[in-house]
This record gives sequence, C-alpha cells and structure tokens, in this order.
Amino acid sequence: MTPLLQLQGAALRLGAQAFGPFTLSLGAGECVAIMGPSGAGKSTLLKLMAGERAPATGTVALDGRPLTAWRHAALARRRAVLPQQHAVAFAMAASLVVQLGRFAVEPDAARERITAAALAAAHAGHLAGRRFDTLSGGEQARVQLARTLAQLWDVEGGLLLVDEPLAALDPGLQLELLAVLRDFARQRGHALVAIVHDLNQALGGFERLWLVQQGRLLHDRPADRQALPALAQLLGVRLQAVDGDDGRVGVLVRRAAGAAPAPEPVA
Amino acid sequence: MAAPEHTLRPPVRLAAGDADPALRLGALLVAALALALLAATSLGAVKVSVGDWGQAFAAERSGSAQVLWELRLPRALLAAAVGAALGVAGALSQGLFRNPLADPGLLGVTSGAVCAVALVLTVFAAAADGVPADWRPWVLPLAAFAGALGVVALLHQVARWLTPGSVAGLLLTGLALNALTMAVVGLCTYIATDEQLRSLSFWTLGSLAGATWAVAGVLLAAVALALWQGRRLAAALNALALGEAAAAHVGVDVARLRRVLIVAIALLSALAVAWCGLIGFIGLMAPHLVRGAAGADQRLVLPLAALAGALLLLVADTAARLVAIPAEVPVGILTALIGAPAFLLLLRGVARQQGGQA
Repeated sequence: MTPLLQLQGAALRLGAQAFGPFTLSLGAGECVAIMGPSGAGKSTLLKLMAGERAPATGTVALDGRPLTAWRHAALARRRAVLPQQHAVAFAMAASLVVQLGRFAVEPDAARERITAAALAAAHAGHLAGRRFDTLSGGEQARVQLARTLAQLWDVEGGLLLVDEPLAALDPGLQLELLAVLRDFARQRGHALVAIVHDLNQALGGFERLWLVQQGRLLHDRPADRQALPALAQLLGVRLQAVDGDDGRVGVLVRRAAGAAPAPEPVA
Repeated sequence: MAAPEHTLRPPVRLAAGDADPALRLGALLVAALALALLAATSLGAVKVSVGDWGQAFAAERSGSAQVLWELRLPRALLAAAVGAALGVAGALSQGLFRNPLADPGLLGVTSGAVCAVALVLTVFAAAADGVPADWRPWVLPLAAFAGALGVVALLHQVARWLTPGSVAGLLLTGLALNALTMAVVGLCTYIATDEQLRSLSFWTLGSLAGATWAVAGVLLAAVALALWQGRRLAAALNALALGEAAAAHVGVDVARLRRVLIVAIALLSALAVAWCGLIGFIGLMAPHLVRGAAGADQRLVLPLAALAGALLLLVADTAARLVAIPAEVPVGILTALIGAPAFLLLLRGVARQQGGQA
C-alpha cells in the first residue's frame, strides 16, 4: 500500500546549515510528534512535508505523487497547515479568516455551514463576528485552528501539519486545542504531524515520535516508555517516568547529572 | 417553509462579508458621487442652466451648453475614472504588499511614466516632432504607458534577481527605481527650454484639463474591466493577508497571483498617468477609508475603493477649478496638499495599532 506521505532522501541546504537527508514514511491516520532542541530542523522538516520548501535532492510524495506535481488547489484539499505565526495583515472578521480555509473549494455551497461548524469545533463560535486583530493570542490560535479544520472538514484521509502553534498559550488551552486536533484527525482518518515541545503532550497525545537533531532524523519510534532514554539524551535532561491515569506514560524532567553547574547564588 | 429556516441561520454571513456596512457605504458613495458630478458640472466660471442639459444631441449648442457637454462633463467623468483606477490600483498594491501604506507611486510605476514623458518632451523632442499631426495627441500618453510598463517589467526582473520571493524586497526595489526615475525627470527639467518646461510641469503636477470623451470612455472601460477581473482576484488577495506561506497552504498559486497583481497595478496606474500626469495619494487614501468603514474583505474593498477614489478625485478636481477662478490649480498639487497630512495621520494610526513598530 502506498503510504500517505513518503520522504525519500529529501535534503536541502539553508545558508550554512544542511538538513536531511530525511527518509520517512507516514501512513493514513497516524499521529506523530516531531521533537528536538531549538534549531534542530523541526520546522524545516515540516516545511518539506508541506511543500513549502522543495528538497534540493530526494523527493517528497503525497499519495505516491511528488508534491511538485500537485496542483495548488488539489494539494490544499489534502493537506492543511496550522502555522506558528498568526498575524493577519488587515482587520478581517474572524469568520472571514476561517472562510479562507475553503479557498480551494470553488464554488463552495457549504462554506457558511462549515465555517460555523469549524469555529464551534475550535470552541471559537463566540468569536465569529469579532475582528481578528483585536483578539487575544489564545483567541487568535482558536480561530486559526478553525481555519485549518475548515480546510479539511469534508475530506478524509488527509494530512494535518502543525508548526508549534501552542507554545505561547497557557497549559489548559494547549491541551484543549491539541485534543480538538486529535479528535478531528481521528474522526476523518487524517494523519497528524505536529512539532511539540512539551514532553508530556508528546507522550500523552501521539503514537509516534520523530526525534530530530542537527538537521538529521535520530529516531523514528513509538511514543512509549521505551522512548524515554532517547528523549533524555536528545534534550540533555534526566527523565523520571510517571504512570498517568489514562494508561499512558508521563515524565518528570530534571537537569542531567553531567550538565553545566548551576550559577553560584548571589550572596 | 423558507422563512423560518432563513431566520434560524446563524449570522455568519453578515459577520464574514460585513455586507451590511458595506452596502450602506456603497449606497452613500454612489449618492455622494452623483452629487459631486452635479456640482462639478454646474459650478465654475460659466453658469450652466438646466436647459443646457437638453442640448446633448443638438446640432448647434449654445456657449454654456458647449462648456457643459464638451468641457465639464468629460472632465468630471475622467476625474471619476482616474480616481477609480487609482483607488483600485491602491487597493491591489496594499493587498500585494500586505501593507496599508503601500501605493502604486511607491512601486515607481507612476514616476516611470512621467520619466518617459519627460524624455520625449526634452531629449527626444526632435523625433517627436516628426510624428504626423493626427497621431500627436497619442504620443505622450503612449510614452507614459510605455514608461510605466517598462518600470514594472524592470521591477519584476530586478526584484526577482536581487531578492527572490520577497515582497519587502520588491517594495524596496520599487523605492530605488522611484528615486532613479525622478532623478531622470529632474535632469530633463534641468535641460528643458521654457516652453518644454511648461508642458513638463503639466505631467509632474497632474491635471485633468486635457479631458475628452474618448479618453474618459477608455478609462471608464478599463476600470470596469479591472473590477470584473478583480472579483476573482479578491478571494486570493484575502488569503494573501494570512502571509505568503499560509496563502499557499490554502491553495493560492502565490507566484502567479503576484504576477497578475503587478501587471494589473501597472496597467491601472499607467492608464491614470497617461492623460493626467502624477496625481498622488488617491490610491493610498481611498482603500484605507473604505477598510475603516466596511472592513478588510477585498471582495468589498475593491469596488468600494473604486467609488471612493472616484469621489475623492472628482471633489479635488472641482475644488482645483474653483479656488482661483478663472485660473485653476493643478489637481495633483491639491491632492498632495491634503493627502500628505492625511498620510501622516494614517501612519500614526498604524503605528498605534502595531505598538509603535510601524
């Protein structure tokens, strides 16, 4: 069976830094967290998968067809991207921002129904008539999430790419929006690939981990208790497993024993 | 039963399109434009009577009817058409640059047109004299048109070579070309004879005094065509407000959109400059005023900016004719006098919105 997304030795250079070659295969409906230290190439990997950057060597194929061979509109009906940056240039209504997710569907008889449903699914129904630029950071994240949901609302077996959109939000909201994303992906059989910083979110909400360091893929493995040594090494920390009441493993994070000494307290 | 279903629908459509305030603004602009047309045709050194309006197809028109039908009406329509063209060009540039402060003038397009005109008037004056008399009225408009298109073609190539894919790079390249073309205009001014200087100043100051029915008709048709095409561009422009990457993610062919926008902006501003010279700030102010009143949905901004631009320039031109009867002030000077302080106010508003980082 053709995997949903296949990276075959995909590599590129940005300035002095080399990324890849990445060889990865993603099946329909899989749920993957990309983790790694800052500057490791997580966003670049996601951009390769989104078709935002073309690999200098190797291929990235969706449904067995290279991304470069997809028409823009057809690609937008199969994969959606929730970006890190939320800014919108002009003072648009929140519901218009969500409608933009339906750009590739023309004509779109269901535009208004899906816009309203996506806003409700992202718990942002009350924001529909507000101006996007007057919303708080958390509210903007909800609206952008709704836009992404609207894009893949009426298709199945698509691909959702998420570029650490939750990092700046408070923990309760992070968990809530992540749950919305996962439920949405599960109901429609979409694969979900998200850059995640929080270890407990990654271990608690995803099935698979891609660990990235210095532009290379270090590990591709299930998100379970056995992943902890690799994670500890990758992030340079000590991890203590904690059993969650949902049957999944959680962690306490401590400084690694060999880490640089803490600064002397000021006398 | 259709009625209950209708009342049960959530108010998403209104909020999304802001159709209500937009409709109200549209009606207001149309009414104001009608009033301004009436004022522009009735006011002036020569009194026009109601009876003069009846002489549209008269073989022999009275003096005041000639003023109405051969001078004021074509001029008022030209002012409206040029204003509309500038308004749409401004809205398109602001959408392209994702910046409410962008303007076709910033691209160097308008000064490119004036630069070509200045060269034809001075350096190539001898060659232009050799043109048959019938063609002479078209020489300068064609030169302006060629100049504007030349700048756009150059802009596109240079920006792609210097700063591939960057809209900021495109804007900065436009600024550099603007300075370059204005330097050439300055050079032409320096070497011009007294007579050449007078016709040159018509272009650099901007005036609608050369209006004819043919010119007004060409421009009105061009604006109508641009708005018709713009309906399809508007949705993509809306998506572009999300950023180039996000616009591509929802299915916009951003490279193609950029090309289409650049050509459309060039055509519209070249058409405006070709017969009227440099008229600044209309392209900046019209879309801004519209967005403030009716929201930022480009599907509404484009047609409303055309109406607002038409109204602004018609009012400005009428004022330019009236302030110093029997002489008239070049309308480009008037729009700059009013537009520059308005631009500063706009800058202050944008700076406040962005926390002082404009």
